[in-house]
Formats: sequence, C-alpha cells, structure tokens
Amino acid sequence: MKHLAYLDAGSGSLIVQAVVGGIAGVAVAAKLYWRRLVSRFRRQPTDQS
Amino acid sequence: MAIPHLRDAAQPVPTGTDLRPEPGSFRDPANQVFHAGQDVLRALDETAAAHWRALAGSDFFPPLLATGKVCGTEELPPGTAPERWAAMLRHERIPFVSHPYEWSFAMLRDAALLHLEILRAALPAGFTTKDGSAYNLQWRGTDPIFIDVGSFAPLREGEPWAGYRQFCQTLLYPLLLNAHIGVDFQPWLRARIDGIEPDQMGRLFRGTRRLLPGVLTHVHLHGSVQRRNAGRSTAVVREQLRDAGYSRELALATVRGMEKLVRRLDHQPPESHWVDYQRTCGYSEDDRATKERFVTAALASAPRRRLVLDLGANDGRYARLAARHAGYVVAVEQDPAVVDRLYRTLRGEGERRILPLVMDLADPSPGGGWRGRERASFAARTGADTVLALALVHHLAIGRNVPLPEVISCLTALAAPGGRLVVEFVHPEDPMARRLLANKPDGIFPDYRRDAFEALLAAHGTVEQRLELPSGSRTLYQVALGG
Repeated sequence: MKHLAYLDAGSGSLIVQAVVGGIAGVAVAAKLYWRRLVSRFRRQPTDQS
Repeated sequence: MAIPHLRDAAQPVPTGTDLRPEPGSFRDPANQVFHAGQDVLRALDETAAAHWRALAGSDFFPPLLATGKVCGTEELPPGTAPERWAAMLRHERIPFVSHPYEWSFAMLRDAALLHLEILRAALPAGFTTKDGSAYNLQWRGTDPIFIDVGSFAPLREGEPWAGYRQFCQTLLYPLLLNAHIGVDFQPWLRARIDGIEPDQMGRLFRGTRRLLPGVLTHVHLHGSVQRRNAGRSTAVVREQLRDAGYSRELALATVRGMEKLVRRLDHQPPESHWVDYQRTCGYSEDDRATKERFVTAALASAPRRRLVLDLGANDGRYARLAARHAGYVVAVEQDPAVVDRLYRTLRGEGERRILPLVMDLADPSPGGGWRGRERASFAARTGADTVLALALVHHLAIGRNVPLPEVISCLTALAAPGGRLVVEFVHPEDPMARRLLANKPDGIFPDYRRDAFEALLAAHGTVEQRLELPSGSRTLYQVALGG
C-alpha cells in the first residue's frame, strides 16, 4: 500500500473526524484519549524504577 | 468498459516525446497527468494501476462514470505507458479548466456535495479518496465533475478520511465564510492554494459565531485537536484510532454529517449594482433587438465555433445566445452575486454548455501554486474562437483607467489565432459613459474616441461588420483577428 497516504492527513484532523461522526465517534475518541492517559500512568512507575 | 463523454476514444495515442507533463499534477507520486495533442492522459505506477483495475471492476465506480459524475476514463492498451509507469489512462477532455476561486458560492457548494457523494459511494465498496481538494473537481457547463481518478484507493479498515483536512480548507471553510459571515471566499482561495487554515478560520468565528452550524466542530475543535496533536505522527494516531474501534460506519456517518451541513449552507448576497444592471443599463428595446441580431449573425457566421468567451456576461443573455451557435461558452463576470444567480438559473434550466465564472478582467486569475505554474493563469487557458466584449470596454477604459490600446490588446489576446472579436464601443456622449466620466477629472481620457478605437481594431485585424445602434451612442464591431 505504498503511496496511499501521499498527503499529510494531519493527526488532529484524523482524530476530530471521530468526534464529528456522532455519539459512537465520540466514544471512539474518548477511548483513544483514555488509553493515552492510562498508558501515561502505566509508564511512570516503570520510569521511576 | 464503455466510457461516456470521452472525446474520440478511437484516436491513436501519441507516446514518448509528445507527452507534456501537466504542471499541476505532481503531488501524488503514484500518478502523473500528461497532455498529448488534445488528449489528457494519466500515467499510473504499479500500485496505482492495481488500484485502477480494482476500481474499474467495482460496483460503485461504473455508475459514477456512466452518469458523468466522474470524468470519462479508459485504460489504454499495454505498452502505451512511458518508462517507469505501469499503465496509462485517457480522460475525457474538460471543455474549459477553471479554478475554485473562479466559482460562485453555489458552484463551490455543488462541487463539495459531489465530492462527498462520491466518497459516500466509495466507502461501502471498500474505497476511499486519498485527498479531498476542491481542485479534484471541474465543470461540464453547470455540472460538476470529479476529475482525479488517481485519487481513488482501497480503504484501510479503521482509518478516517485522509482528505478531510483538505476538504475543510478548500471547500468547507470557504463555504462557511460566505454562508455565515457573508465574506466572499474567492480572494482567500486565490491567495492560498492549500485553502484556509483552521486557526485562521477560528479567529474569524469568535463569540456567538462559534455556535453557527459546523463551526464548533469543524473549525474550533479541529484547530484545537490539531494543535494538541501536532507532535504525533499520523501513523501513530491511525493506529490508536483503529485500536479504539474507528470503523467504516463511522467514516460514513462523518461524510453524511458533512453532506447535511454543506446542504444547509446558503448565501443570499445583498443586491449589488451589477445584479440589476441589464434592467438599468439604459438600452432601448430597439437597441437591444438590433444588438441581438448583430451578435447572432456574428456568432452564426464564425468559421470556428468550439469556444466562445463572453466577457462581462452579467445575466447571461448573450452567453445563452452564443450557446445556440457554439460548442461551449465561458461567461465571465466580476460580481460573485451575479455569477451565483446566473449559475443557479442555468442549472435550473438544465443548460450544460455555459460555464459561468467569477473574475475581474482588470485583475484576472494569475498563475498560482508551485512556480506560478501549478494553476494556470486565465490568459494561459483561453484561446477562444470568438470573444464577446459587449458593454465592457468603457468599464475598463474609463472605470478602471486602462489605456484603450491595452484594453484592445487584452481582448484580442484572449482569442485563438485567427479568432473573432465582437466588441461594443460606448461613445463618450452615451449616458452610461457619461456617468463613468463624471467620476473622473475633465479631459482625463482624450483618446477615448470612436476613431481612435476603430484605428486600434484595424491594427489587430479586419473589421468585417460595423453597426451603430439606433440610439446613436453605441457601435458594434465584428473583427476577424490577425492578418
């Protein structure tokens, strides 16, 4: 699938599409942000140790 | 596959040195548009060729071709593609290439709706478009056509539309600007090939304007999420979205939502001087009938009748007349409100051979984009068989202070070699000319005279017909240019 994304779609432009896609989309965006948050807290103890 | 609208499909294909790369086709390395004589060709690399074949064999694509929503396309026999390319397509030739900053509001909206309709048809079939630019669209009269066949690619499950940002910047935002705050979008698109950035839009939509349809999400939220994720790569974000459950159904819901929003956007421009011009411009019925007979005769007797350019087209009276005698008519008018009205009327009438465009002849579209060549200037795209310049010269010569020799040079340069000019000279004593002259110091245009005008015409060609209108203050000329 080379060249498929010749254009920089914009990271924010990808995420915002989930939000404008309705309630189910908002849930996807919320899940994405939740996972990011969780992974940040998970990493921290490992970093300290 | 039977390809509709494809000009002279049986014509042999020129190859090798005959190919001229299209200067506006370089951003996607998977394909490249070339010109060869009158042919428009698209070379595809191996991946793009595989995508094309999948597309041609899909269920959704052939109906789009058959209805003319996507430009007529056929694959040429193996071996016609130049070195480094795997396949070659031939496209229907667009009668006159125009740019989004030359379209009116309703034109841009209809173009946006066609782009979304095509994407909505593609998604369930497992295809997407790689981009979402207004430059993916052209016109066949008042019918928008999707021209970027190279943009179709298989959809990767769980990925949002890569063209969304481009769609916002070149289609949705310009429409929001016009519909919500009454600002003409054309200068914005002309100045920035990539369209309007979300941050720029955000500054224009503060306070209660944030609550206008589409603004909070597509403008403010879009801008803010973009800023917060500027450091993350799109590959990582795509992966995160897929893991979070983004689906094809969600992508479809987004497209449907955008279609609903775009369809709701409307713009009723305030009445401008030009909207009512035909009624107020001071022609008697006798003058008008005489002028129509003169113009009709000039058009009907023209040796070539492929393309007519109607400059200062206003309500399209003469463009319509020209369409009866020519293959295609481009009606140019500077006031976006007038063009919008003309477009809506023509579209309602089902007229498919007149393309209305917004452009000020005293400030025509320059070359744009990379090296000023990616988007060809208006002058580079013309070459009309007949140029109509009716009730126009005095607006340029008196209204805009353009020296008369320059006006004539400009009009003749817009015609193809050996073309024809049909031009009206409004005498200095005509009420409309006097109204324009009243705003300028006395004696500022000593050369604005009929004899000087006729000498200039004679220098550019042969005056074949000349007729003074019954009112005695306007004269029409039919000029065979060159020679």
